[in-house]
Amino acid sequence: MHHASDPASDPAAGTSTGPDAMPGAITREQLEELLQGVADQDRQAFARLYEATAAKLYGAVLRILKHEQRTDDVVQEVYVTIWQKAEQYDALKASPITWMVTIARNRAIDELRRRPTARHEPADILDQTASDTPSARERLEGEEDAQRLYACLEELEGRRQDMVRLAYLEGWSRADLAERFEQPVNTVKTWLHRALKQLKGCLAS
Amino acid sequence: MTDRDDLDMLAAEYVLGTLDAEERTRVAQRRQDDATLNDLIEAWEARLAPLGDEIQEVAPGPDLLKRIEQRIDDLEAERAAAAGSDEHVPPRDNVYQLQRRLRFWQWGTCLATAAALVLAVLLLAPLQTQQPPKPFVAVFQQNDQQPAFMVSVELPSRDLHVQAVAAEPLPDKSYQMWIKEDSLGPKPRSVGVLNDDLSLAANALSEYSPELLKRATFGISVEPPGGSPTGQPTGPAIHGYLYPATRNL
Repeated sequence: MHHASDPASDPAAGTSTGPDAMPGAITREQLEELLQGVADQDRQAFARLYEATAAKLYGAVLRILKHEQRTDDVVQEVYVTIWQKAEQYDALKASPITWMVTIARNRAIDELRRRPTARHEPADILDQTASDTPSARERLEGEEDAQRLYACLEELEGRRQDMVRLAYLEGWSRADLAERFEQPVNTVKTWLHRALKQLKGCLAS
Repeated sequence: MTDRDDLDMLAAEYVLGTLDAEERTRVAQRRQDDATLNDLIEAWEARLAPLGDEIQEVAPGPDLLKRIEQRIDDLEAERAAAAGSDEHVPPRDNVYQLQRRLRFWQWGTCLATAAALVLAVLLLAPLQTQQPPKPFVAVFQQNDQQPAFMVSVELPSRDLHVQAVAAEPLPDKSYQMWIKEDSLGPKPRSVGVLNDDLSLAANALSEYSPELLKRATFGISVEPPGGSPTGQPTGPAIHGYLYPATRNL
């Protein structure tokens, strides 16, 4: 996924059907219908939901665990959870894909905390994370929300932006961040809290 | 910094993912009973969700869907086994019933949130008449990892046994168990407030017939000390899944 345009500065990117668009371009409404089907124990709907979302969820978990077999196991449990809890999905609170990604991230991070993987390669990952920013976004949430969040992230001091991204996308703990940024864990915690408060304030403004 | 700020930062870091294993487990458990924390978590999930757009898709191996479907089949077979092993009832029917019964338990705004309100379900299955009485068991689950309570009922004696697993006594709160069945009306009825050691009298279900118990659903909610002031569940409740009685008891 290499794409030069920056959605934050290019409103047209929001409607592009280029390489960054969702494959198969399934809509939120279609996903909601499939989830409803899953809530009614419809196995076909479940298989279709899987086909439409598995690559996203697999990508989210693999990025955190960096280990295919463990990713397989976690993604399996994630979809079992989706099967069991589909009826608790609340369309007023999140889009279907956000709800599913949340389940996947939570499981992946729980797994990573229980059995940490080998040390990250900080430089590479940071480069990748930074360069992904404009290109790989797939606009699963409203474009407006995404633009607001990215505008607010931009206002954070550079290292704090990196911390937020490394934590959210790569699953880094405070301790991982402390090592990477050569700071005591408590300092990292303080930085994270400041960054998060600043983000919250910015998003509310 | 106020307590509310602290709680908000705890929620934010939980969503961001930077807490350690122990803190994550604590937050995941606490949000079940703490609507404020749960709301804060959901607000942060919404705030940070666009970051998920950065996740690059990676196609899983071709066999993963089959593995998942197999796993679901296995789980449903287990539940069906827990619900009794009437060969004429395919597993899915029981699970479907379970889902439908869960819907009954929605009250207030709770079940709308995946985790907040949950109510345990104990599905009592038809007894196999040719066998000695077996307990029917439900696990009341606090989160996906840990069972909170296990509840078993012997039929036809109707002896009830509540066992706390991960659940612990809460300061200034009581756990209360509820039963619901169509013939009892639309609302849950109290089975009793759990004792300080989280037990409940074995005869707490003696007024209900075995037939009714087979159809009933059960829940455990968190209430003010001494039990719900309204006679209806007021606090967050704990959710259960069926459990095969033959396996771990």
